[in-house]
Amino acid sequence: MSTSDAALIQKIVQRDESALAALYDRYAGLLSSVLNRILRDTQASEEILQDVFFQLWRNAAQFDSGRGSLPGWLVVIARNRAISRLRRHNPSEGEELLETSVIVPSNLESAVVQQQLLGRVKGALENLSADQRAAIELAYFEGLTHSEIASRTGDPLGTVKTRIRTAVESLKRTLSP
Amino acid sequence: MNGHPTRPEDFDLYALGVLEGEEKAAFEAHVPTCAACAEKLAEARGRIALLAFAAPRVEPSPAVKDRLMRQIHSAPAGFSRAVAGAQRERAPREPERAEGFFGRWWAAAVLVPVAAVLILVSVRLWQQNARLIDELGEERATLQKQQAQLDEARHIVALMEAKDTRTVALASQPGMAKGDVRVMYNAKMGMAMCDGWVDPAPANMSYQLWLVPMEGKPISAGLVEYSNGPMKPWMVKLPPGVEAKAFAITLEPEGGMPQPTGPMVLVGPVS
Repeated sequence: MSTSDAALIQKIVQRDESALAALYDRYAGLLSSVLNRILRDTQASEEILQDVFFQLWRNAAQFDSGRGSLPGWLVVIARNRAISRLRRHNPSEGEELLETSVIVPSNLESAVVQQQLLGRVKGALENLSADQRAAIELAYFEGLTHSEIASRTGDPLGTVKTRIRTAVESLKRTLSP
Repeated sequence: MNGHPTRPEDFDLYALGVLEGEEKAAFEAHVPTCAACAEKLAEARGRIALLAFAAPRVEPSPAVKDRLMRQIHSAPAGFSRAVAGAQRERAPREPERAEGFFGRWWAAAVLVPVAAVLILVSVRLWQQNARLIDELGEERATLQKQQAQLDEARHIVALMEAKDTRTVALASQPGMAKGDVRVMYNAKMGMAMCDGWVDPAPANMSYQLWLVPMEGKPISAGLVEYSNGPMKPWMVKLPPGVEAKAFAITLEPEGGMPQPTGPMVLVGPVS
């Protein structure tokens, strides 16, 4: 049986490099995928990927496994940094997320669960209308706000807000345990 | 927004990053002060994080892991170990000659203090940098919070000064929980300020405030935090231009509902 994330974090706190390598092997693929989708730039994606795990190495003691999920936290940090770079925001904004708590409704430590989730998330997105799916992807992968999505698509702001709210409700129903 | 976000999916919208302006600032001002909302936001962040699985799979090059492992060796916490490791690697390649031995002594006499100073300076700079980043983040958060409070204070003043602002008193219904809530409401501005008190809601249930319009279905004005004593006044944003014929508080499943489903606990007609 593989070592839990919480146990690996404890080992990282004790400066065990093999624990960081194990967590890297477990989650680097997921992070690399979302970073490449956002940035569409392999070099920039790999810089952020390395930086996120280096941040984990430096700040592992501050991560409280009882407060949330490590892969959720890693994804939030990685996405935030990628969006910051994409939009040329101050990269230090990501540092605030050290305090961020992320509760994922599934245990992502298992590769099997990750595979199952892959199917569920794709299914949940396929259940949305094309407009809803496009709006969610503009928000998540390009970091656009309501009004920016309205400008991009040419749709009225109210329509965009309703579209995203309905999509989010649908995703919540499908992805909740 | 001085109270909780008005709809359950607001947490997911914030986590998705689509909220902006006042809506976002008000959310950020409230959530750090409310453990229940912080928990809901953590759950929403987790749900939204799952969208990462929708990205086409791209494995990173093996070089990234190599660079990462080299980087952690050069980080301050692992610096002394890296020096020791480097010395261990070099030792077998150097022949044991007398002059080399003395040469190493001289080199050590010079290099060790220099290395020690470099280590101290590096650690100091690293700590200073980390502290400055922390301070900057705290200052930014404080500024955002103060801006949100200032905006809210401006809204309260505008609401109280407006001639068409009305005050509605909500009274307990027979057989229901006791309470006394007042709603100061301006239809044109789409804003209301509420205060008062109400008995605790039963377990797993929430009180929800509704604007009952002249025509159409009730509009949610958010959840009400129960209190046996006077509550801190809270602001509510409503669709502008909707004239109310009444305000009501109903008992709903925890987290609220899109439309009222439970009994009316307090009601107040707009006179």
